[in-house]
Amino acid sequence: MTRTSTLATWMSGAIFLLATLMGLVAFLYPFWVPALAQSGNTGLAHSQDAPYVLALLTGICFVVLLLEVQGAGMSAKTVALLGVLISINSLLRFVDLAVPGPGGFSPIFLLIILVGYIYGPRLGFLMGALTLLVSSIITGAMGPWLPYQMFTAGWIGMSAVICRPLVGGLGMRGRLGEVVVLALFAGLWGLLYGVIMNIWFWPFVVGTPDQYWEPGIGGMQTVQRYAVFYAVTSLGWDLVRMAGNVVLLLVFGGPVLRVLQRFQRRFTFVYSPVSQPVSQTVSQANDA
Amino acid sequence: MSIPRDFARGIAPGPNRSYAPPPIHAAAWGTWLAAVVVVLAVTRNPLYLLFTLTWIGWATLLVNRIAQNAAPGADTLGLPPVQFSPLTFGLVVVTLSALFNGLNVHVGTHVLFRLPRGWPLIGGPITAEALLYGALNGLALTGLFAAFVLLNRVVPVRNLVRLAPRAFYPVAVVVTIAVTFVPATVRQFASIREAQAIRGHRVRGMRSWLPLMLPLLIGGMERALQLAEAMMARGFAAGDEQPQSTLWVRAALILGMVALLAGMLLHLVWRMPVWGPVLLLVGALLIGGAVWRMGQGQTYTVYRPTAWRVQDSVICGGALLTALAFLVELPGLARTSALYYPYPALTWPQLDLGMGLSTWGLLPPVFVLLWSLAKQDGPANGADVSDVSEQ
Repeated sequence: MTRTSTLATWMSGAIFLLATLMGLVAFLYPFWVPALAQSGNTGLAHSQDAPYVLALLTGICFVVLLLEVQGAGMSAKTVALLGVLISINSLLRFVDLAVPGPGGFSPIFLLIILVGYIYGPRLGFLMGALTLLVSSIITGAMGPWLPYQMFTAGWIGMSAVICRPLVGGLGMRGRLGEVVVLALFAGLWGLLYGVIMNIWFWPFVVGTPDQYWEPGIGGMQTVQRYAVFYAVTSLGWDLVRMAGNVVLLLVFGGPVLRVLQRFQRRFTFVYSPVSQPVSQTVSQANDA
Repeated sequence: MSIPRDFARGIAPGPNRSYAPPPIHAAAWGTWLAAVVVVLAVTRNPLYLLFTLTWIGWATLLVNRIAQNAAPGADTLGLPPVQFSPLTFGLVVVTLSALFNGLNVHVGTHVLFRLPRGWPLIGGPITAEALLYGALNGLALTGLFAAFVLLNRVVPVRNLVRLAPRAFYPVAVVVTIAVTFVPATVRQFASIREAQAIRGHRVRGMRSWLPLMLPLLIGGMERALQLAEAMMARGFAAGDEQPQSTLWVRAALILGMVALLAGMLLHLVWRMPVWGPVLLLVGALLIGGAVWRMGQGQTYTVYRPTAWRVQDSVICGGALLTALAFLVELPGLARTSALYYPYPALTWPQLDLGMGLSTWGLLPPVFVLLWSLAKQDGPANGADVSDVSEQ
């Protein structure tokens, strides 16, 4: 590995880390901006415009992450593979919208998680983010919520790779335990997806004081209010998504995993140019 | 379930292809949509909300008429039917939003009736103020939904994809492939279902979906391999990178994000009115520059470029004026009239003539659609032939 490529790898890692960190900071501002405002008299004046500044930052982080993710290793094979898998996954969402499942159940998380697990965080992020984009194009479900959905679904696909060391460490690769770990991971994200997706609009909603965000309230109070809001409006809905994800992974996870693994070898097969002139290669072949 | 092939290929016309899409550039529609989002996010004044909803509704009706004239009996411009029409969506959302807010928020002086205090969350006075505010939130959501549905119907997918900056070329190709493969995937699923049905397969329970889903997945990935080979044969090479130049781009991205983070902290935490915004701007510029530089490395050719016409500039100008009026204090405009709040006691919403007129900046697409409709109804059946042939 040359010095340039080592530096590029380090820089790529730094971009991933910074963009994810900034995305988290921007997403979770209702929890830290009021805390700062209460701890001194700083911050309160700007906690009114914080939602707008941080919504803009979320968008910029997403752009940076997308730029970095697509930059390296996007060969024709990966582009085609992603296109087709996203197409299949978007159709699953179309079916889900046409025949709504119970609560927040959606079949799209199965492929997002498995693609992230098998093909790595870059493709996992793109699979999550672009599935939401394409499915909203074909279902007409575009709205201001779309960038947040894309970001969160991207995180799901990107984070699936953390199951690899867990599965490897427990010696469960290729066994039922692998699917169980992935099912638990999918169940956790079933809840987290709802928790995160509520935050983008929560500060803008006005309602009962014990459930809604106000500039200037303390950090603990913000957490308490959000917990009440979440329990009242979303918990039941998200529990169904969690259960759905677990069942989907347990039923379909094993076979789909094997298919993706089988194709992984075919998609990573590359032709490399020979390092010596063709005439020399031909003469060597003739000598042999 | 069927998805029209034309839609998935990014072609707007309906069954007989006689429909000419309104001659508005996708970027102009995008600017118009952004202005609508700004207005609906900022205001809860029922008068301004009604103005904005009227302009969106008018544009939607005209698009429906144009589509119906071109392809009688067709419901849409070759698009899959939306699950809810904006009207149905509005009725449901406004009602639910008013009820939800009315039952949860017990603030206001005009008490309609009282629920027992002991009832958790909903117990207490139900006020007209809370119901009205809920309904206004529902109206704003309806406007957003209707505007996005309209954009979805009038702008072909490929034109939307083209709006992506050149730096995102690989992602744009992925999206194009995904959308293009939707009808093929539907056909493949139908064939698999028929083949399995002939073998006696019936869908009973979740596991019985496996014989349908796995062949779909395997078939799709086989097609992806064939497609990749075809792309390589035609010289597609999204992965080609110039390591030295990408190092500079990456450095700009890192510096940009650090500047943004510092600017955010200075602005929101340490209240530095100059350095905070300056660093935010520097960060945004660095990242914008990196995106531009990455785009320079992508060769992007268009067989038939979409023309930018005078009406597109007018639409953008109108939309920008509307957005400015609702975002910035402009002389002669009472921006505060947009911030209607019915609590603690109901008041009549204030109507500022200048602010009301500023929503008219969203009208130019309506005029273009009216002109398009007039041409369609004209002696030569009006269709803009150049646009049709372009499709």
